[in-house]
Amino acid sequence: MKELSRLKRVLDQGGFAVTAECGPPKGADAETILKKAELLRNTVDAVNVTDNQTAIVRMSSLAACALLKSAGLDPVLQVVVRDRNRIALQSDILGASALGIRNILCLSGDHQSFGNQPQAVGVFDLDSIQFVQVVRTMRDKGTILGGETLTKAPDLFIGAAANPFGDPFSFRVIRLAKKVAAGAEFIQTQCIYNLDRFEKWMAMARDKGLTEKAYILGGVTPLKSAGMARYMKKKVAGMDVPDEVVKRMESVPAKKQADEGITMCVETIQRLKEIPGVMGVHIMAIEWEEKVGEIAERAGLLPRPA
Amino acid sequence: MITAERKPIDEIRAMIAPYKRVLVLGCGSCVAECAAGGEKETGMLASTLRMATKMEGKEVIIQEKTLDRQCVKDFVILLDDVIDQYDAVLSLGCGAGVQAVAEMFSEIPVLPALNTEFLGETRDQGVWVENCLGCGDCMLHFFGGVCPLARCSKQLLNGPCGGSREGKCEISPEVPCAWQAIIDRLDRFGSLDRLEQIYPPKDWSRKQGGGPRKIMREDQQR
Amino acid sequence: MESRISPDTKQQIGKQARVVQSRKRTLALFYCQNTPESGEAQRQALEKRYASRLKLFPIPCSGRLDPLHLLKALEEFADAAYVIACPEGACRYFEGNLRATKRVGMTAQTIAQIGLEKERVGIVANSKENPKPLTKLAEEILDRTSELRPSPVLERPKRGKGIKEKKDDHSRKKTH
Repeated sequence: MKELSRLKRVLDQGGFAVTAECGPPKGADAETILKKAELLRNTVDAVNVTDNQTAIVRMSSLAACALLKSAGLDPVLQVVVRDRNRIALQSDILGASALGIRNILCLSGDHQSFGNQPQAVGVFDLDSIQFVQVVRTMRDKGTILGGETLTKAPDLFIGAAANPFGDPFSFRVIRLAKKVAAGAEFIQTQCIYNLDRFEKWMAMARDKGLTEKAYILGGVTPLKSAGMARYMKKKVAGMDVPDEVVKRMESVPAKKQADEGITMCVETIQRLKEIPGVMGVHIMAIEWEEKVGEIAERAGLLPRPA
Repeated sequence: MITAERKPIDEIRAMIAPYKRVLVLGCGSCVAECAAGGEKETGMLASTLRMATKMEGKEVIIQEKTLDRQCVKDFVILLDDVIDQYDAVLSLGCGAGVQAVAEMFSEIPVLPALNTEFLGETRDQGVWVENCLGCGDCMLHFFGGVCPLARCSKQLLNGPCGGSREGKCEISPEVPCAWQAIIDRLDRFGSLDRLEQIYPPKDWSRKQGGGPRKIMREDQQR
Repeated sequence: MESRISPDTKQQIGKQARVVQSRKRTLALFYCQNTPESGEAQRQALEKRYASRLKLFPIPCSGRLDPLHLLKALEEFADAAYVIACPEGACRYFEGNLRATKRVGMTAQTIAQIGLEKERVGIVANSKENPKPLTKLAEEILDRTSELRPSPVLERPKRGKGIKEKKDDHSRKKTH
């Protein structure tokens, strides 16, 4: 039976796709990831599984994706180039496809100094753009780097991440163009709080014809508290949290801040739906997966297509 | 040049503890430039160690000498006349120097007083920065003279990553984002469009492929 | 009240006390030649007055001081090694006194790492409003360093009874 990417199907059919993120456990417990998956079943089209995010050791994304697949969900395998050389990366692509995983997101990865293994070597044999190109060539030409032919080509819907808010702003769309030229078919962005700036970026992407070539999914993360808003504004690289957003969270009593955060997230999604070229939303409710259902519901995204 | 920093005094003391006659050996080249192992620093270390051993009540002979370069056989061989007076050499050379001395005088322990760090430039007085990885396949002409391998924390050839903020790397506001520098530089030359092409995966075999590297030049040999 | 201590013992204690006093601590003093009243005559007079307690080294600018000078002094004969510099902003070579300050700081850290008191080295900048002559500064520094115990670098570790007299080491350090 041919496995299909549900995410690809929804996007190809012109629907507004919904994906969510799921972090594997810091242990060998399969039940944790399966429990999280249950919260997301029927609320999303595909589930991203992070790859040792923030350079913190967690169950491997590939294993967690295999577990989700066996539970009947459509996982998006996130792969960073920080921890694996080209031999391991290409090998994992073959393994993922063999396990029935049909979506991949190619990333650089947070630097190893951020996590709990700061003494590790950062591999960075390939960068994320070269990696997209490698996966695309494996899939479409059936060859690995160097030209050797595979016995069976992997079947994957290929994605990359984009950050409309990193510096330098002028270069961001050139980078997006490179990712698309390398073969990225869908793009998930960093979480959006500054819609004006995002709209500008989308306009530049449209001008360059990139929205014709790749599906762009806008990223959102519901804020849990004013403290979280402030933290993300100040401490997280590549994040743009406007003052109004922080003020709005601060204007609400502490007990109500989580609700306000969800409301703001829903409003963001509604605005994203209006922006031409935005073909879906990627909900990153980190350690708050139980709220994804509520967000999707209130944003009018349910029910998901079968 | 090669940069290095002196190991903590305690570590050095522990290293020389078993020995009674120590030659503290400096180098007049790279390590002198980065004020870690030149004649001055060698004199200071020797004097400090002599005071330390005196206070411990130990009778240890500690003498110093500085070679122009520790990594060149022709200079190291000059120690031949005096080496028998010592039972250990505490070298303030970079790793290359320490090993060259050890290679020449393989019967005597040669100990490293420095931690060798990186290939870099003297950016400013008292400031040294890493700028070359010795990859064996220089691509500086593509990137406006800024190396994305040595100076980007993730060695991206198609950067920047999403973490670049105000010209700084995500790992620290002290670290400049190499890709910001490359973009600014190429912009100034009017060749920013060069960055629209996808640079293919690096050939790392020029660095690691053959194990420890070696250059042989027949025209330079006897 | 009449002392019960025997005359012999009294004599012994007195002798030891004198020995303690005669174990003079030596201060090595590097001074900028721009310090007021610091010519040859004053230097000789000072050295004569303080004999082995004070060794003076004129330098054309405190910026010429190398940490090695201080270390060598401490290694060979000095219990303390100090520098006299010109007031901030008044260095004839503009930055010499600032460099010297950094170098003295570095030397203090180095000796601390081997268990010597940081106060064995120091730098004194002359006053801008009321610049003092060499003699005055030298005396102030002698006073300041008088609290330091004799340098353990120069002492042999004590073996028990009595206090051994230290051999005075008058090796003179030449500066450029």
